[in-house]
Amino acid sequence: MALVFVLFLLFMMMGMPVAFAIGISGAVFFVQLGTLPMTIPVQLFLTQSQNFVLLAIPLFVFAGNLLNETGITNRLLKLSSILVGHYRAGLAQVTVVLSAMMGGISGSAIADASMQGRILRDGMLARGYSRGFSAGIIGTSSLIVTMIPPSIGLVLYGSIGEVSIGRLFAAGIVPGLLLTAMLFAGVAYVARRKGYQPERQTRAPLKEMASTFLECIWAFFFPIILMVGLRMGIFTPSEAGAFAVVYALVIGILVYKELTWKKFLKTLESTAVDIGMIMLVINMSAIFSYGITWERLPETLAYALLGLSSVPWVIMLIIVLFLLVAGMFMDSTVLILLLTSIFVPVAGTLGIDLVHFGIVMVLTLTVGLLTPPLGVVMFVVCSIFECSVIEFVKESWIFMALVVLVVLLVIFFPGLVLFLPNLFFGT
Amino acid sequence: QPQADAEKFVLRFNHVLAPTEPYHQGFLNWAEQVRVRSNGRLTIEVSHSAALGREEDIIEQLRMGANIGQNTDSARLGMYVPAIAVMNAPFFIETIDDVVKLKELPTVQQWLKELELKFGIKVLSFQWVQGLRHMVTNVPIRHPRDLAGLRIRTPGAPIWQESVRAIGATPVALPFGEIYTALQTDAIDGAELVYRNVIGAKLWETADYFSETGHILLINFSIVGRAWFDSLPEELQTILIEENMKAGLATSRGMEADIAAARELLIANGMTIVTDVDRAAFRAAGNAAYTVLNLTAARDQIYKELGRPTP
Amino acid sequence: MKALARIYDLICRAEMTLVKGGIAILTGLVFVSAVARTLGRPVGWAVDIAIFLFVWCVFFCADIAMRQGKLVTVDIVTMHLPKRARYYLQFVNNTLIVVFLLFLIRYSIPLAYTSRFVRFQGISWFSYTWVVISMPIGATLLLITTVLKMREHYIKGC
Ligand code: NA
Ligand code: NA
Repeated sequence: MALVFVLFLLFMMMGMPVAFAIGISGAVFFVQLGTLPMTIPVQLFLTQSQNFVLLAIPLFVFAGNLLNETGITNRLLKLSSILVGHYRAGLAQVTVVLSAMMGGISGSAIADASMQGRILRDGMLARGYSRGFSAGIIGTSSLIVTMIPPSIGLVLYGSIGEVSIGRLFAAGIVPGLLLTAMLFAGVAYVARRKGYQPERQTRAPLKEMASTFLECIWAFFFPIILMVGLRMGIFTPSEAGAFAVVYALVIGILVYKELTWKKFLKTLESTAVDIGMIMLVINMSAIFSYGITWERLPETLAYALLGLSSVPWVIMLIIVLFLLVAGMFMDSTVLILLLTSIFVPVAGTLGIDLVHFGIVMVLTLTVGLLTPPLGVVMFVVCSIFECSVIEFVKESWIFMALVVLVVLLVIFFPGLVLFLPNLFFGT
Repeated sequence: QPQADAEKFVLRFNHVLAPTEPYHQGFLNWAEQVRVRSNGRLTIEVSHSAALGREEDIIEQLRMGANIGQNTDSARLGMYVPAIAVMNAPFFIETIDDVVKLKELPTVQQWLKELELKFGIKVLSFQWVQGLRHMVTNVPIRHPRDLAGLRIRTPGAPIWQESVRAIGATPVALPFGEIYTALQTDAIDGAELVYRNVIGAKLWETADYFSETGHILLINFSIVGRAWFDSLPEELQTILIEENMKAGLATSRGMEADIAAARELLIANGMTIVTDVDRAAFRAAGNAAYTVLNLTAARDQIYKELGRPTP
Repeated sequence: MKALARIYDLICRAEMTLVKGGIAILTGLVFVSAVARTLGRPVGWAVDIAIFLFVWCVFFCADIAMRQGKLVTVDIVTMHLPKRARYYLQFVNNTLIVVFLLFLIRYSIPLAYTSRFVRFQGISWFSYTWVVISMPIGATLLLITTVLKMREHYIKGC
């Protein structure tokens, strides 16, 4: 397995497309082992795209591209420049708020980042934000989606650890809002340092606000209508993307009348390219993960680390550091699958509330979506913004640091997390 | 042959359930007994939550000779030998004792032989019984007509879909993990599950009633690849099978014994258990599934061998 | 040669048309499935077919993305290398990709054969083989694209 890791890093350094660097190094494991059928890598790749939950990704990508062509994005940009145009880097604030709203609909950070990357890219670049900064804030803010319910990571943790999904969902709300606030502040700080000017000097007059709001009302309603549909049980989170597409179509054809057949076909074309680059990475990573699972690497390491100490807070610290590092090399879903059953009993004996622990665990693991060497969200936003990983890291490390700060706050102030579930479900 | 004796074997055994489910402990017990009895020559490593992969994929892998095993059900095995799916049909059999009897029947033996010789799937045993499946809903279910128009989540395979349709509900295929949220948002009206599932997912938070329809007795199979199995010395083959049966039966009986406590737990959490279910009406309705899926002949043959009257 | 180029161009256009149709249809199917369930008449096959289309779309989309040079790469190291080194590295990369794709094609064929008993999503008349053959076909398309890229790379020189 060591060889697999070395090859993976080597291939990436050689400038091989990331998807193939992951897939080829992953396949080396099977060749090395020699006892497993070589058909398994083929199976793993195929099975990955038969996952109903992953189907949300192409749907939201399609929705994002359609929103651009139907005039909804333009109005969203106009509305946001009226509402937050007097802030520095107002559009970066918009993506933070938008993720908080999308958090109530989608459970996938990848889907959110690819949709918003598509929607906001041109607007952000036109306003002179650097590629690294824009990709950075869209990537980081997409983590909000994984905390605000519904959340795929929390469902997985809850099912494996037999922890109430309802409580976990309620517990995710405050950290989600905390992330939103932190990133809001982070954008303000970075924008000042980088000298991004506000689009307008003063707050827009109320009258202008009202008229623009009316003009752009369908853009504003986009996430709200989706949320209502979800709460009414018309669709499940995995199906929400399809409704976003239909919403964009209806508004684009009937209300704004900007969507033509030609534009529709063009949208499908750019969607195809996006799906190709995103899904190839995701499918190949299934091949890579298998060896790690087969060798029981995370479990073995986790048990070894847990043996290092018996002091509760040291153990907690070890767990968090371990999750942080593990998340850098592996998909968070696979890690939740492998590690929940090891850490939940440990957390239990330490007297840590399992809902609290679940939030810490899922939040910490999702940080890995943003970090090299293997961060799927990072790859997605970097490819949409055509920026290098170096640029991305250089310009968004502050945002990542803020996410880690939220993790720390959540660890040391369990009340932040447990307040809402206790309120809804009793103690 | 001392050299063959020294050879060590490893089996990776995969199941889809959570590690907190009694099954996981059951498989671990099996692994431990096999290790002890074989003096460490045969090791079984158990993976939960489908960590090793999707059930269908694992079955293909073991057919190709990988040292992998899987806990599966008759719906999946029915893809290879269609008649086996009958064991998943509504009200086919209803007790663990009947499951034990099944394994001796010539017809069942013949099915298993076909699985082994034609498809390379070796069934170690099917003594793993998860229990009777009941209805989790927000209205009490006493009669098939109470299910009319209700969207009930069920696994995707045709035998599941048709069984649920036969007893009056509208089947909806959703992943297991989505049950909680789908119930909460009313995307579905209910699900059909065993007691243990309701506790695991804490479904009392989103549903009020658990009606004991007992429409399906969920039987699981422990399978490995024939090629790998044949590579084992005979002694180890025997140990593997005998211990699997023992562990399976013990786990099934344990889960059955736990139902009383499970019932208490559900009630304590505010759920109403409906016990006055018109089982006869459900049983009669369930017949439709056999006709639709062409399983009547298989059922009648098994009943004949069991010495039971055919409906 | 010219005829070959024409055929390849045709394949590319067919690929794009299929993908466009595929994405539109799979979106529609997911939508219809949700609406039908809400109306109390679930159509189970809708999502099954959507997932089936998704598998195929992934390969075609990947091929299109690759042809347009849109696959993500990390250039931390390569950007500092001399042009000549980069030229040879890219040749090595592409060769490895070709070998890997051949590996996928080689092993997807026996899998397609043994999967003939497996029903796709449990649908009795639909074999999983239809899913598996997306791999040899998809990987072959990727293979052609890679080889053409290598050729172009070679012609352009250092
Ligand atoms: Na965002
Ligand atoms: Na969410």
